[in-house]
Amino acid sequence: MRKMTRYLILFLFAMLVTIVLAACSDSGDETATDAKDGNSEKEVTSSEEKVEEKVKLTIGSWRTEDGPKYEKVIALFNETNPNIQVEFSPTKNTEYNTILNTALQAGEGPDIFHLRPYAAGLKLADAGFVEPISDIDGLDQYSENYLAASKGADGEQYGVPLNISSTQFFYNKKIFADQGLEVPATWDEFIEVNEKLLDAGITPIAMGTKEGWLLSLTHGIVGSGVLDGNVFADKLVTGETDFSDPAFVESIEAMNDLKKYFPANSEGLGMDDIRTIFAMEQAAMFPLGSWEIPVVSELNPDLDFGFFPMPSKNGNQSVTTWVDGSFAINAKSKNIEAAKTFLEFLTTKEFGELFVDEFKMISAIPGITSDDELLGELSKTVESSSTPYYWVVNFVSGDPTTKTVLETELQGMYLGEVTPAEVAQKVQGNAEISFEPFK
Amino acid sequence: MMTTVQTASKKKGRKIGKSWTIHLFPIPALIIYGLFVLYPILAALSYSFYSFNGFSRESFVGFDNFVTLFTTEPYGSMFINAFKHNVLYFGLQMVAMNGLAFILAFIIYKKVKGAEFFKIAFFLPRLLSVIVVGFLWKLILNPNFGTLNILLGRLGLEELQRAWLGDPNTALVSIILVNCWFGLGFGVLIFLAGFQSIPGELIEAARLDGAKGMTMLRKIYLPLMVPSIMIMTVLTFIQSFEAFELVYAMQGSMGEPYYSTDTLAVFFYRLAFGSSTSGSSDALGVGSALAAVLFFFILICTMIFLKFTNKKEVEM
Repeated sequence: MRKMTRYLILFLFAMLVTIVLAACSDSGDETATDAKDGNSEKEVTSSEEKVEEKVKLTIGSWRTEDGPKYEKVIALFNETNPNIQVEFSPTKNTEYNTILNTALQAGEGPDIFHLRPYAAGLKLADAGFVEPISDIDGLDQYSENYLAASKGADGEQYGVPLNISSTQFFYNKKIFADQGLEVPATWDEFIEVNEKLLDAGITPIAMGTKEGWLLSLTHGIVGSGVLDGNVFADKLVTGETDFSDPAFVESIEAMNDLKKYFPANSEGLGMDDIRTIFAMEQAAMFPLGSWEIPVVSELNPDLDFGFFPMPSKNGNQSVTTWVDGSFAINAKSKNIEAAKTFLEFLTTKEFGELFVDEFKMISAIPGITSDDELLGELSKTVESSSTPYYWVVNFVSGDPTTKTVLETELQGMYLGEVTPAEVAQKVQGNAEISFEPFK
Repeated sequence: MMTTVQTASKKKGRKIGKSWTIHLFPIPALIIYGLFVLYPILAALSYSFYSFNGFSRESFVGFDNFVTLFTTEPYGSMFINAFKHNVLYFGLQMVAMNGLAFILAFIIYKKVKGAEFFKIAFFLPRLLSVIVVGFLWKLILNPNFGTLNILLGRLGLEELQRAWLGDPNTALVSIILVNCWFGLGFGVLIFLAGFQSIPGELIEAARLDGAKGMTMLRKIYLPLMVPSIMIMTVLTFIQSFEAFELVYAMQGSMGEPYYSTDTLAVFFYRLAFGSSTSGSSDALGVGSALAAVLFFFILICTMIFLKFTNKKEVEM
């Protein structure tokens, strides 16, 4: 035993030594990378001379499933720009941030990369890893809200917004017709629809509270009804009001009151469960995002479903939107001019139409229509009446993030552990630390 | 290793030069071990003394990360919450998994009919990947489509039906019992090997002295099984305090619902890599501090266990 203790002491000592060594050696590495940067700058100048010849660009993305679709995008790009060769090389969604961050810090990485929206992506821009692109053509067509997803603290634009995600209630048209129900135009009508469905023995809302992100998402939808669309959101993001506002507490209470319209055992239901419940016509409504349209259709191709924007008490209607991703240029890229040409291509109507057809997503470019009826209608509503999804747009900083706190506390509320007022209080407490206008 | 080489060289006298070169042979293995085992552990330990901004390391902050971990909310209460769950994980596994494994091993040892079949049957779940096990049990425990609730309904036990993984009162216990189901066969194997290594003469002698039933178990089997029991205790302890895969597979990185299934390893994952729903995290330093605390806690507890076992063995 004494031997063991001696080994332990030796082991601990060895550890200490290595820690000290590791600390010293790392400062050495930094100078090494600086030297490397110097080299790459030289390479930039030499490659610019050959720009007339074939240039090769790589695109980094977290959308591994979109490879074949991007091939079509690249083919369209090459019709007008035959001299720029483009390669799409995506990384697994969950590992993308780590791999990109590491590569950027080493002065490497793809020429063009998919930038996470809002705080997560802007962190990279503020650290100087992203090339400002305010000077490229085509940016002026986008709405200010969408450009904000990749606008740095210095006011420069760092990314071209690609697609918009929107959340709203989907509804089963057949169940609504059978029950003689109309799409609700006010909040009170919405509650009435729920009551009628409940009386008819139909589960009104396919929703589960097991996965936290579904809760913030649902608050994004329901909250815009209770808080009258943009009215609260606009005041919130400027700091004019905060989460201690009684109106906000009321929106949390409204979430709590919806529980009776959820399926049995809703505390144990996750994403897959509620999607199945809605697709198999066991529930009439489904609060989720635009990206679910192809998934639900694939699960049950015969399902006839539509969407309705959330109606508020005053009869304002809106869907809740945010930018899902932007494309940006690596500041260390050797082919910045060619990369800018590609980003300009991403702002064109031709690209927008191809994107909507192939990707079945809502394009950030205004005025793009879709052959898919549901997606086309949704695109129009997104342009005409939308509320920003402020949980994703403004409240994703801090550790845990304000959005995470909302999710966890809402989960606690549905389990009866905390009251709606306490939820609002905890969310406010977190936001006061991490959200600039509240400080 | 050293002593055998030295004695060998003493015997052969002049071949000192040759024997010295023998020490070079472990070097490739040591380099691999150092690079892929020691270095990451030590690097993680060193990270716990730095502040982080995203993935870039900032300045040396001494023990600040450790202080933050224990005193700053929500970390402090999350740590205690997760720690309690690890303790429950260990306790329940000791009783439900190792207790049952001991009894089953004893029955198999007594050569019941089909002993070989049961030995394989109990071990079979162990061959599945933990992720597969998690997925399988998630389906079984599903509140509305799952086999368990349907079975309870058929048996007329509707009042027992619940959202097993969604109810904070049953979620953690459900996961631990799934882990017991998964690990049972390994315990049976270890205990069976222990029983089989008890010398037959000893048991015969005890029989002749008139020992039987509980006396036999208490005075003969149990003391002789102490090494196996200790091995299983230590292994279960380490596994319980590192519990991650099943919780992650069944409840995600938030320890849902409402942190009721959070464990220290899941908490660490959330700190260091961010949760699946909230994106990036700045707490790599605090996460490394938690990893260091976890490492030393397991190391020290394991050493105390081992010391205790050695004493026990000497007493016998």
